[in-house]
Amino acid sequence: MKAIAPLTEERFFTVFLDAVDGTVCVPANTTGAALQARVAPHGLRFPLLLDPATSLSAHVAATTHAPASCRFGQYCDNILGMNWRLPGGRVVRIGERVAKTTTGYDWLRFLLHAGGRLGEPVDYVLRLRPACGFSLLAWFEGEAAALRGCVSRLLHGGWMHWWDAVDFVAEGDRRRVRVAVDCPPGEAPLFTEELQRVAAAAGARLTLQPATGGTLDGIPDLVLKTTPDRVIALAEALAQPAARCVGLGYSGVVHVYLREGGDRPDRIRAMVESHEQALYALGGDWHSRWLPAPAPASAEAAWLVTLEQALRTP
Amino acid sequence: MPASAHSVAPLAASAPAKDRAATDRVGADRRDLLPRLQRLLSRGRVFTSPAQLAGYASDALGYKSYPPDAVVIPADAAELVEFMRGARDLGLPVMLRGAGTSLSGGPVAAQGGVIVHTSSLRHIREINRDGFWCEVESGVALNDLDAALKPLGMFYPPDPSSGPVCTLGGNVASNAGGAHCFRYGVTSHYVLGVEVVLLDGTVHRFGGPAGGRGRWREDWRRFMVGSEGTLGAFTRFWLRLLPLPEKVWTLRATYPDLRSIEAAIHALVAHPSFPAAIEMLDPRGVAMVEGSRMAAGLPRGSFMLLTEIDGPAALVDARVAAVSDILRRAGSDDVAFSDEEETRRRLWKARKAAGGLLGQLSPDFVVQDAVIPKGALAEILQLVYDEADAAGILAVNIFHAGDGNLHPNFVFNSRVPGELEKVERIGERLMRRVIAVGGTLSGEHGIGNDKAAYMPLVYGPDSMRLQWAVPAAFNPRHQLNPLKVFGERRFTG
Repeated sequence: MKAIAPLTEERFFTVFLDAVDGTVCVPANTTGAALQARVAPHGLRFPLLLDPATSLSAHVAATTHAPASCRFGQYCDNILGMNWRLPGGRVVRIGERVAKTTTGYDWLRFLLHAGGRLGEPVDYVLRLRPACGFSLLAWFEGEAAALRGCVSRLLHGGWMHWWDAVDFVAEGDRRRVRVAVDCPPGEAPLFTEELQRVAAAAGARLTLQPATGGTLDGIPDLVLKTTPDRVIALAEALAQPAARCVGLGYSGVVHVYLREGGDRPDRIRAMVESHEQALYALGGDWHSRWLPAPAPASAEAAWLVTLEQALRTP
Repeated sequence: MPASAHSVAPLAASAPAKDRAATDRVGADRRDLLPRLQRLLSRGRVFTSPAQLAGYASDALGYKSYPPDAVVIPADAAELVEFMRGARDLGLPVMLRGAGTSLSGGPVAAQGGVIVHTSSLRHIREINRDGFWCEVESGVALNDLDAALKPLGMFYPPDPSSGPVCTLGGNVASNAGGAHCFRYGVTSHYVLGVEVVLLDGTVHRFGGPAGGRGRWREDWRRFMVGSEGTLGAFTRFWLRLLPLPEKVWTLRATYPDLRSIEAAIHALVAHPSFPAAIEMLDPRGVAMVEGSRMAAGLPRGSFMLLTEIDGPAALVDARVAAVSDILRRAGSDDVAFSDEEETRRRLWKARKAAGGLLGQLSPDFVVQDAVIPKGALAEILQLVYDEADAAGILAVNIFHAGDGNLHPNFVFNSRVPGELEKVERIGERLMRRVIAVGGTLSGEHGIGNDKAAYMPLVYGPDSMRLQWAVPAAFNPRHQLNPLKVFGERRFTG
């Protein structure tokens, strides 16, 4: 086969909305609210939002997961492509506008949560989901064992695939389990019945309310990644020093929210020091937008030099 | 010629096979290869006779043959590590291989060298139901993992059709997909951690049960998944699991034309029932199945669509009528559906049989793996038909329509002069159009050496530089799996 001549110019994503494919390309500084306003008329939504007033890039810079990652996966599974500004200022296209690709090395997932050290996003191509028309938030309250029982039943049964979120929320002395539902209006009774069954079986009290703003927790100050079975214990352990902890049950992530104050970085550092070794032992990690990233491990320094040469070539 | 009118030719009489490859072999001295390999591995784990090597000369794309110089089968992960520590001094390419079911020329010895077969690394080390993860060795067969998970009410969603034999190592290396990836996603969505041996002999764990970075500052696991054996040797993985769906409905419909089945696909992908799979077989595929012993009773000339919804019984039972209505409204008067195991198997029969029947049409086939925005489905399929018909090549389309992941199979005979060249010319024109409509070269098979020639269509100068930086960091001399992903990745000894 005759060799194909290489491209002499970069290809880029342009802003688009593809209602058939359920994809949209928007500037990375688009706010959550602006994104929803753009896609809602097409019966679509981007479910991984934490704060409607905050840009998508700030979401991604702060955390890898949102409550709806329980059902739809992490940000890097829902951001299909991007135009990316390299540290030297040039822009390259990374990833695709289609949901499946194994064309070349996966720079998309590598760069996406690299904390701005290797450049910054200009535009994102996002995978959207059908907006089903009816949203509901369920709150379970009760003894610790009852709440653990709720989470176990919600995650280990066949309904697990259909909960937008199953979160353990610790705020002061209050502990609750939160479930978010997005379903067709006609199916709402089925979802409600299942939630009632879970509450009854676990011995928990159930409150149902409209979901408006229900999982928009805001941008977390600290994010810890562990295994799903350790989320409740970790959120419990961090609840006292924190103002609020949200454990994303299936994702194995704890979002920590702190009271404002000049000593916030110090408080975060203390929390990290208490838990990081246990996280690392499981292949977990932590990240805070208030602290610098740790130094590279010795083995990765040489790999980074090679990558950075490519990234910084003018 | 309309798509549905193409006749299916019987298997052509074929001349003896001949090796197509190995013009590119590295010029290292191979005379003392056997004793050098025997020093790295335990007794009986090095193979060099032609009869022993014959089965490793190609992958599932049989029309290309690249005999290796040797095959080694490390006894366990520790021996694989020892082999990798000594491999750099061999001066020969090293290729990792699981079951060899790749459809892209991934695990073949394109420059000669040593194939490392991972068949001994087949232990499922741990299944953690509460933590939704498992730890497996890289040679575990996909369906063996699913068989171990099923009694626990769990599953691992990626499901390439080679599941009974393909290994998780090959799945991770090629970021495998499958029929149910429309809702569940591909392998990269499920890899929590990778243990990898690099050519400097160092062993690294990127991630783990928790699926984070671990002690690393950067998320190196991301480069490993889909790296097609070009960066290191995988020894084990930590994989994310899901609870098994309680109930499944399978629905099958046939359509008289491309436009009506496209309308059905577009309606299904937007429906709140979130189908798990949306699969399609074109009239040429239907004709192939119906002309075989695997006939499923499909109308000749029809397009077949197969979809599945799964979930709690109460939920999917409430949804099945709406989904079947979608199929009918799009133009089908032939909709069948069932939640009963045996009937579901019958509904799947044509789709499952189609891949294996291609070999009855002609000795060779090339399967493309392009992914396109679904709005371009009819246009690209018509292009496939027009190009193939003009060249006198049979094209059969069996693919993952929900993902826009096309698998046009170009059926030909490599012993007929000029046929392969025709297929390659069609492939290039098809890929140019795929890229032009916003698609990509490969969705789940990987690039291997079969699609490497098309990579210049995808990457501009800056993004190409980034692509090359990855092997430059981990495998700068391209000793691991040379000539794959990028055809210029050549090991020079």
